[in-house]
Parts: sequence; structure tokens; C-alpha cells
Amino acid sequence: MNRTLYKLALLLGAIALFIVGGFFQKQLNRQRSNPELNLSRVAPLDPDKAPPMLAFTTVALGSFRGLIANALWIRASDLQDEGKYFEMVQLADWITKLEPTFAQVWLVQAWNMAYNISVKFTDPADRWQWVQRGIELLRDEGLRYNPKEALVYRELAWFFQHKIGQNYDDAHVYYKTQWARAMTNVFGGDRPNFDELLHPQTDAAQRRVELLRNKFKMDPQQMQEVDKLYGPLEWRLPEAHAIYWASVGLGKVSTKDVLLLRRAIYQPLQLAVFRGRVVRLPADGLIETGPDLDKVRLANDGYEKMIAEEQTRKDAIQRAHRNFLREAIYLLYTYHRLGEANYWFNYLRAKYPDGVPPNLTLEEYAFEKLIGNLDTLSYDKTKAIIEGLIFQSYRSLAVGEEDRANGTMGMARQLWQYYRDKTAGFEKRVGLPPFEAMKASVVDLILKGESPLAPELIPVLRSRLGLPAPVAASTNTPPKKP
Amino acid sequence: MQRIWAIATLTWKAAFRFRLFWVLTVLLLGSVVVLPLILKDDRTARGFTQLVLTYNLSVITTLLGLATVWLACGTLARDIEECQMQMVAVKPIARWQIWLGKWLGLVLLNAALLAVAGASVYALLQWRSNQLPPEQQAILRNEIFVARGSLKEPIPDLEQLAERVFKERIEKTPVPVSEHAALRRNLLEQLKAGAQVVTPGHPRRWIIDLGLRKNFLRDQPLFLRVKFHAVQTNASGLYLGLWQVGVPNKTQLWQDRKSMAAGTFHEFAVPPNLFDEEGKLTVVFVNGSVLTGTPTTLLFPLEDGFEVLYREGGFSLNFARGLAIILCWLALLAALGLSAASLLSFPVAAFFSVSLLIVALSGGTLSSVVAEGTVAGLDHETGAGAGGWIDAVLIPFFKVLLQVIHLVQGFSPVDALSTGRSITWGQLGLAFAQIVLFLGGLLAAAGILFFTRRELATAQGTQ
Repeated sequence: MNRTLYKLALLLGAIALFIVGGFFQKQLNRQRSNPELNLSRVAPLDPDKAPPMLAFTTVALGSFRGLIANALWIRASDLQDEGKYFEMVQLADWITKLEPTFAQVWLVQAWNMAYNISVKFTDPADRWQWVQRGIELLRDEGLRYNPKEALVYRELAWFFQHKIGQNYDDAHVYYKTQWARAMTNVFGGDRPNFDELLHPQTDAAQRRVELLRNKFKMDPQQMQEVDKLYGPLEWRLPEAHAIYWASVGLGKVSTKDVLLLRRAIYQPLQLAVFRGRVVRLPADGLIETGPDLDKVRLANDGYEKMIAEEQTRKDAIQRAHRNFLREAIYLLYTYHRLGEANYWFNYLRAKYPDGVPPNLTLEEYAFEKLIGNLDTLSYDKTKAIIEGLIFQSYRSLAVGEEDRANGTMGMARQLWQYYRDKTAGFEKRVGLPPFEAMKASVVDLILKGESPLAPELIPVLRSRLGLPAPVAASTNTPPKKP
Repeated sequence: MQRIWAIATLTWKAAFRFRLFWVLTVLLLGSVVVLPLILKDDRTARGFTQLVLTYNLSVITTLLGLATVWLACGTLARDIEECQMQMVAVKPIARWQIWLGKWLGLVLLNAALLAVAGASVYALLQWRSNQLPPEQQAILRNEIFVARGSLKEPIPDLEQLAERVFKERIEKTPVPVSEHAALRRNLLEQLKAGAQVVTPGHPRRWIIDLGLRKNFLRDQPLFLRVKFHAVQTNASGLYLGLWQVGVPNKTQLWQDRKSMAAGTFHEFAVPPNLFDEEGKLTVVFVNGSVLTGTPTTLLFPLEDGFEVLYREGGFSLNFARGLAIILCWLALLAALGLSAASLLSFPVAAFFSVSLLIVALSGGTLSSVVAEGTVAGLDHETGAGAGGWIDAVLIPFFKVLLQVIHLVQGFSPVDALSTGRSITWGQLGLAFAQIVLFLGGLLAAAGILFFTRRELATAQGTQ
């Protein structure tokens, strides 16, 4: 064959193959993007949101980015084994830039920082830095490239609910304190003023809104809606933020992932019942949280919905629901909300007959929760518990928790009465002192500074009890004889 | 020497003539300025400083390393290919002097560039640290801007001990010969466990002899660097322990309860002057996991489970010694490039040198191949290698190669500087001896031999 003709034939063959390949390519691309086939883990990147560096890494590096990402993972893993963490933020940034729409990459990197690396440090301030880095990675960047990915929202909510909210980490109180201070700074007070956040009138308010939107990536409008739906929420505590991020996700993810995020709302609501209220946030101390008993009904509704939605492990959630009710009843009782305690006590008994022993009254149930078996009450144990309850009552009074003060004092009195009735006839041997005398003895200890009550709360208690201020020692008082 | 110096000067002049010196200077200074702006750190002064030190020094080493290989290959191979070398070789100068002159020129060029880049990194770090609050400056002074030495408890010869116990055992209770090996292994493991394990509620004591260092460590804080593994994990991943340093009624006493994660290094400061008059520092750890409700046995590895870090010197000199080790690496690369160019044309020499560099940087892969004993992967059923005769040839070669690589990579100045570890004069001397004199010498001998025997007037690749 003529050499020129041969070359021409080859050229025509190549063109024909390109055209045929083009047809197949379209079909292949369609199949590749079919979610049912699950062939591609990487969704296309939104070109409007991708910064130049990301466009470079995802387009220019082509298939090599997988290799580079692997090498970076290996380096991160090696450094972690050697206890060198200073590169982790940079490595996580590169790894996520190389695989920006692969949700698991964000989740693993953020989890690593918030959970694995943070606990390697002994100083709570160091730990808090890493927890924040984990949250920021998901919130500031993970959601930017994966705005419809339920797993990212759920993980973010989980960090707030579990890492900051739960008490598994030794530094959890420090995290809560830092978060509450940051939020107080954003809100300009204890609670967000939604009108002001939505329509800021002053420069200070404008700055706070910018902080909320730019740093914490939160939308005041959405906050207000969440607050109306599930609140009022305590926005200084992590549970409110877990609910917020799960709610934001609910409005964006596909229907199949809705269940995942609903649970991420129910769970913090339930936890808020036990720790959803700020009792104290001292300027130079750690936060103190207490139960938010107004949320019992909402939390209960959450459980009911979860039980209805659960297909396979219904009994596990029912057990959790029963335990929740038992705790909530006890708390309501200690906070002197006897009507509600009684309502939920009857509800528990009707819903879960094995939830409370038969023939037990609400009072007896509360005592048993407090001290175990009532039949084995000893003198020493009872006296210690009554004094403890009296102390708790005075402490609650000092920090402004009137309900709890009344509740615990009532419990102390009832327990005293119960024990006195039980030991009638044996007063000489195992009789308790009069109740008022026990109260006076506890007050005396507190005022002398010999109790665990914080010194700054002693004058507050003195004032609440209407006691006179202590007389200052005269400078002319002669020194004591040696 | 004058002739060698003349060639070195010519190499310098060429570097300036081709504006290589200025381009490299701009690139190096640019990296020093730009990197801190684009790197993402953990927002602590310590983390930032470590990151800047690591990445800046790594980038400087990489840039200079690649430039050195390229230049070393180019300066000789192109001189030969373009016949300029014929003009030099006919002068009263030996071939080895030409070769050494070029090498010296490249090393001095690298030394100058490294000095400029190193000085700018040093100045940048000092300037940034001066902007920090005093407490952050103190952290940097104690942990990064310092040369810290390390002391460990001597590792007991457990194998010898196990052998003694083994002999005693078989004397008392004879064991069939076929089970001797297993018994030896068991005894060794038992002894290892005894030396490493801390059961719940029990203490583990380390006594570190500071020796003469006690005289200059007065009023200096010491740092404990510890690592342990937990036999059983718990929900929080943290394990409570009581650390006590000092001996009651003998020295001052310091103690602290700490919850620490397993499987990682922890470093914490202890107050000064806790050692006794003989310079012995006693550290006791009590496993407090019983108090947390999940009693767990902890294991401190003998090799790296516990060490005491102390201030040995200042940062400036340590930094200079670190740069000097980097210069040793660059000198080796210059020798490699020149030796390749002595025999090969420029593109082939460059390809060969870069390939060798890649092999050297693949030390991890080589190590795992040598550890497995095969290049073809293990048969997981039989546990044998599947490489056959290829393994028989390659594995011994890889072993030798790994030892050569280790001679170079056994020094990690970047790592030491970023963690405030001391680079001693001894280490620098060893690096110079191993990297420059031994390996560089071997390459130089080969390069000079090739270059001396090479016929310069034959037709070259570019002609």
C-alpha cells in the first residue's frame, strides 16, 4: 500500500475511534453519575464556590491527587504515632482540598483533631484549640463544599452534643465555659436578642452580627426559627448548637437522610433536660450547668418519635426512654415541681409498668433514687444524706435556684420525718437531732467557711437568709496569748 | 590548592553569570517569607514555630538539593559536551583538581545560599517570637528555642537475664530440648513485661543519673517525655496516673495527677532542683486507673516509654549545627552529580542522580521489603516469600543499600530543631565523617577515576 494512503487510513481510523469513543463517553458518564450504581464517590465540584487552589488540585493534578492524598495520609499517620501534631492542621487542609467532596475525608480529619489529637494534651486550653479546629474544619470548609451532605451536619452536631456537651473528656467543663463565653460575647448578654441580630441598629450590634455570621457561620433568622420550634434554647450551651446544625441540615439534605438528622435534634433535646441551663458563669471560673426541666415534654416527644421511626432496635430506645423518664421524675421532684413529677410518674407507670416498683409512692420512689434501698437506712447514712440535702438547698439558694432550694429542703425534711417514724421508740439510741438544729448546724459550717460552698457565695447566702453581716475584728483587739 | 581554588572560583563565576545565585536567593527568601503566610498552623505560638521551622528548612533543603544535583551534573557534563573542558584540561592542572575544584565551588555556593536562607529563617523566628506575650516567649524558650539533651534509664540486658533464668529453670525442672526455644521466648517476654508493665494501683519507678550535668542543671526546669500503651481501652481514651518526682525526706517533692492518652508521646515540665546531691532524679508513676472505675494495666515501652529532657545549650548554635548537617547532605549531592557527569552526558547524569535520590527517599519501602524478606509479597498461608531467586539477589542488595541510606538519613536536623532537641558537635562530626568523608569520598574517588580516564576530545552527545 502507498505509504501516504497508509498514513491517511490510520488518521481516518483514529478520527473514527474518537467519534465512537465520544458516544461511549457520554453513556459512561451517565452511568457513572447514576447514584444507584454507586460508581463514583466524588461529586462534581461547584465551580462558583471552589477557590483557585482547589480548582488546581482537583483539575490539574487529575488522577495524581489520589496518590498525593495517600502520601499525606501516611505522613499524618506517622506524625501522629510520633506525637507530632503541629503539622496536622496543614495536612488535613491539603488532604481535604485534594478530596473536597468525599464527606468521609472531612469527617475523619475533623474527628481526628477533635477527638484523637485533643486528648493527647494535658492542658485544657491546648485541648480546646484542637476541638475548635475539628469544628471549624467541618463548619467552615466541610459544609462549604458539601452543603447537602447529611453526615457532615450530623458530625458537627455530634461534636457539640458529645465532645463539648458530654462529660467523657476531662476538660469538658473548660470547653463549655469557653464556648459559653464566646457566645455571651456574640450575643452581648445571656440570650440572643433576635430582633437586634436581625436588624442591628448600632455599630456594636453590627459587629456582633458579623461575628456570628462570619466566624460562627450562623444565621440569626434560622436561629430564631429553631428557638421558636424547640426552645427557648440556652444558646450558650453546646446542646442548642447541636440542635441548630442538625436543623440547618434538615432543610438541605435529601429525604433519605432526614431520619439521621432528626435524631441529632432529639438527642440534645433530651440531654438539655439534664444539663441545658446555665446556673453560673463566673468571669474567672468554670461554668456550672443545671437541668432545664421545661424541656421534659419536648424530649419525651422526641423519644416517642424515635420509637415510632425505629425499625430494628425499638427495645433499646424504649429502655433509654424509660430511664430518661425515671431521671426526669426524680429531678422534677428535687426541684419541687411536684405536679409535673406526679404526672410523669403516672405516665411512666402506664407506659412502662416495670419502670417503677409496684406500690411505691412518688416520695418513696424519689428517696429510693437518692439513697438506694429504704429498708437498709442506717443512722449515719441518713444523717449524712439529710445534711447533704440541706447543704444543697442552701447552695441552690445562694446561686438563685429557688425551686431546687425548696425541693431539696423538702426532701431533707421528708427523709428526716420518714426516718423518725421508722425509728420511733429508739430515739435515745439512733434518734436524729431536731430538723431545725440540723439546718442551723449546716448554716454554721457554711458561714464559717468550712463547707465546699465557694467563698464568694457566702455573703449572698447570708443576705438571702436575712442574717446580719459578720462583725469585722477590731484592730484594737489585743493579740491572743500564746 | 591554588588550582582547586581557581576552578572553584570559576564555578562561582558561572553561577553568577547564569544568574543562578540570584534566582536561588530570591526563591529561598521568597519561600521563607511566603510559607508562614500560607501555612495553616494550630494557632499556638509553639505549633506555628515548629511548622515554620519544619517547612522552611524542608523547602530550603529540597530547593538547594535539586539545584545542586542539576548544577553538578550541568557544570561538568556541559563543559565536556561543549568542549570548554578541553581548554581547561590542557592547562597545568590535574583532572582530580578540576573535579575537586568544581565540588568545592558547589559546596561553597550552597554554604552561602544556606547561610542566607538560614539567617532569614532565624531572623523571622526571632522577630515573630519577640511579638508574643512573655508567657508564650517562655514556652518557646524552654521547648523550641533551646537545645535539649535526653536521658533514659539504661535498658537492662534482658536476653542475658532470660538465659540465666532459663538455665536455672531447666536445672530444677528438665524440659524437652524441642521446647527450649519456646521456653526461652516465654521467659524473655515475662521479663520484658516485668520491666514495662504497671498494673492498676501499682507504681513504676525510674531513676535517672544526671551525672556531672547536675552542676549546670540547677534552677533549670526538666521535661519528662513519656509514652505508654493501655491493655484495655476505656470510653474517654484517657488514663489517670499520679506522677511524683523527687524522694520524700531526701529531696524536694513534686507530684501531679494527670489524665493522659495512650499510644502517644506526652511532654510536661517538672520544677527544677528535684534531684538529689548525687544527681539522681527519681520519678515514680502510680497507675491510677482504679480510681476511674476501669482498672487498666499500662505498659511503658523500654525503648521510648520514658526520657528526661534537659537544657543542654542555646538555639543559635544548635540551629547552626543543624544547617551544617544539611550542608553535608548538599555536599554529598554535589559529589553524586559530579560523579554521574564524569561518566555520563548531562541528561543521563541528571536522570541517574534523581533516580538515586528517589531510591534513597524510598527507605521506608526498602525497609518493609527487607523486613518481609521478599520483593513479591508474602504468601499469607505459608508465611514464605514468593520472590524465589529474585529475592535471593535483591534482598542482600537492599540490605546494603539501606545501610548506606541510613548513613545519610540517620541524622534529622529539621526534626531535632523543630522539637528543641540538641544536635551535638559529636553528631555533626559523625555526619561529616559518614556523609562527606566516607560516602562523598567514595563518590569522589569514582568520579575522579571516570573523569581522569575519560577521553575529552572524542565526539560528544551535543556535537
